[in-house]
Amino acid sequence: MATRFGLQKWFPDFFDRFGAFTVFDLLVDYIKSGRIQVDKTKITGRIAYHDPCNYGRKSEELFGHGFFDEPRWVLDQCVSDWVDLNPNRANQYCCGGGGGTLLTPYKNERLTYGLKKIQQIRRSGAGMIVLPCHSCHSQIRTLLAENGMTEIAVKYLWELVADILVID
Amino acid sequence: MLNFQENKLTQTIKDKAPLRPIESIPDLCLSCGTCSAGCPITGISGFDPRKIVRMVLEGSDQELIDSPLPWLCTMCGKCEHACPMGINIVNIIRTARGMVDRDKVPGMIHKGVELDLETGNNLGLPAEDFKFIIEDVAGELAETPGFEDFQVPFDKQGANLLHTLHNKLVNTQNEDLVHWWKIFYKAKEDWTIPSVNWEGVNWGLFSGDDDAMKVFVGRIVDHMERLEIKNLMYPE
Repeated sequence: MATRFGLQKWFPDFFDRFGAFTVFDLLVDYIKSGRIQVDKTKITGRIAYHDPCNYGRKSEELFGHGFFDEPRWVLDQCVSDWVDLNPNRANQYCCGGGGGTLLTPYKNERLTYGLKKIQQIRRSGAGMIVLPCHSCHSQIRTLLAENGMTEIAVKYLWELVADILVID
Repeated sequence: MLNFQENKLTQTIKDKAPLRPIESIPDLCLSCGTCSAGCPITGISGFDPRKIVRMVLEGSDQELIDSPLPWLCTMCGKCEHACPMGINIVNIIRTARGMVDRDKVPGMIHKGVELDLETGNNLGLPAEDFKFIIEDVAGELAETPGFEDFQVPFDKQGANLLHTLHNKLVNTQNEDLVHWWKIFYKAKEDWTIPSVNWEGVNWGLFSGDDDAMKVFVGRIVDHMERLEIKNLMYPE
């Protein structure tokens, strides 16, 4: 998001000269075009999806499009039982580690922020959280460890895809 | 002294009592508190977005800049998503962050920015160490069934797709480097990563430092031009 924002602000002609794709554009294109195949039977158990603020609410505001449907389409291709956290999409709660707070000394605050996320995850009944953001990944993994919930796995969306690639 | 006659001719009621005395964007604030109700961290360590907007409106800039408030925010944007007046609260926070003396920026944010400016990545990792780590992990993948002869293409001229890396994957999370590599391999993607200035994250966004942010974005433009790459994969 920072790069896209910066390109639009300082290098607007970039988009006349080059193409630019998000992680979602690539995953959807590779799967739709058949360039990669995924095996939907490989993962059993319930997965919950977390919308990162930057790809969701903030992309919607800054770029006029929030990436809500694309990751859900990818999940539909990859697993048979996935659920949304509540609230979700534009009303999703921040993981509590955004805005660089993972890099500040305010760890107690960060863990407190995350209690809402922990509550959402508990209510979902999922054994795995899938998300497409490095900050959310670090924060949610820490939250689960701090709250004695390490039996719940955290995966990047592209990690999920990579794990179930059909290998000839 | 007020000249009644002249005043009568030139000033209407609307001039004297404007319907919307807009001087700056936060002046639109209705003090309704929707932002604070929507913010998931209101009340924690004194954080309160409505209070921050009021501080800006009242001109208490220095008080805000000297407080930890701008750094407690996760910039999640729920406040402004909820705001009925469309006030850009996250931008207020980021602007306040940018006005803090750089040596008072808490934690690693500005240190990472400085290292990135100096070395091309937030870790300050030398190019040879970077290449060693990448080739080591790539070598392991090349021994995995289904990914035979996998190689990471550094600085490939004319490649289709530019891939950059989050520094933590090169630092403590090496095991997460391979996911995209596996996908690229199976998709037969013509991709490349830069051997220098490979940093994919831009902490200038967090520190409110537009100058640094522009430098980092400019490096991506430079890779695209120098290597004549067709498409960029947004780093985050």
